[in-house]
Amino acid sequence: MSRKGLDERQLQKRNSIGNQSFLLLLYLLLFDAVLYGLGVKWAGYPANVMIILALCAGIYVIRLIAAGAFVGPSPQTRKPLLKAGLTVISVILAAAAVLVIAKNAGIAGFGPAEDISAPVMFVGAGLALLIAAVTFVTGNRRNRDEE
Amino acid sequence: MAKNLRLKAARAAKDMSQKDLAEAVGVTRQTINAIENGDYNPTINLCIAICKVLGKTLNDLFWEEDRHEP
Repeated sequence: MSRKGLDERQLQKRNSIGNQSFLLLLYLLLFDAVLYGLGVKWAGYPANVMIILALCAGIYVIRLIAAGAFVGPSPQTRKPLLKAGLTVISVILAAAAVLVIAKNAGIAGFGPAEDISAPVMFVGAGLALLIAAVTFVTGNRRNRDEE
Repeated sequence: MAKNLRLKAARAAKDMSQKDLAEAVGVTRQTINAIENGDYNPTINLCIAICKVLGKTLNDLFWEEDRHEP
């Protein structure tokens, strides 16, 4: 058996969840287009697509984690807490650097999306952290029960 | 799918936990748990790997007797 990547059950789960998430994305985009055609505008142009994409990506990741198909089998047993912390810090630094550079370079904003993108991202990040914490706790509890 | 109690018994006879068996065959512990609970149907490659680790044959662990056989 391969020790790299996901195992066979995880691959099957990932493929299945990926297909369903892709179809969900397609249907939501179509639904959004239909709403737009009917004159219903629930968000501006880039923001609506961004929200739908973030929603589908979030559902995909949450379902992957819930199905135990996000991280493959690994021979190392130590918890990658330090690695995760460093990743979070580096992502925050990279985002801040991009914002500062974009501001100084005088790059124009994204138009209508600029108004709501910040709160959407803030709420999205908060929800993602909450879901990750809940998934971590329930996963640990399930692991104890199954042992 | 029915639970695979023979796999569980063979693993217990070898004094192995699900985690030990999972590491030996290169899958996650959840996969071994799913096989034992009958929630996942493993490929023949994984069946063979499990049999080799536990010192059993495919018949011993994975052959389901036909209930309608006379």
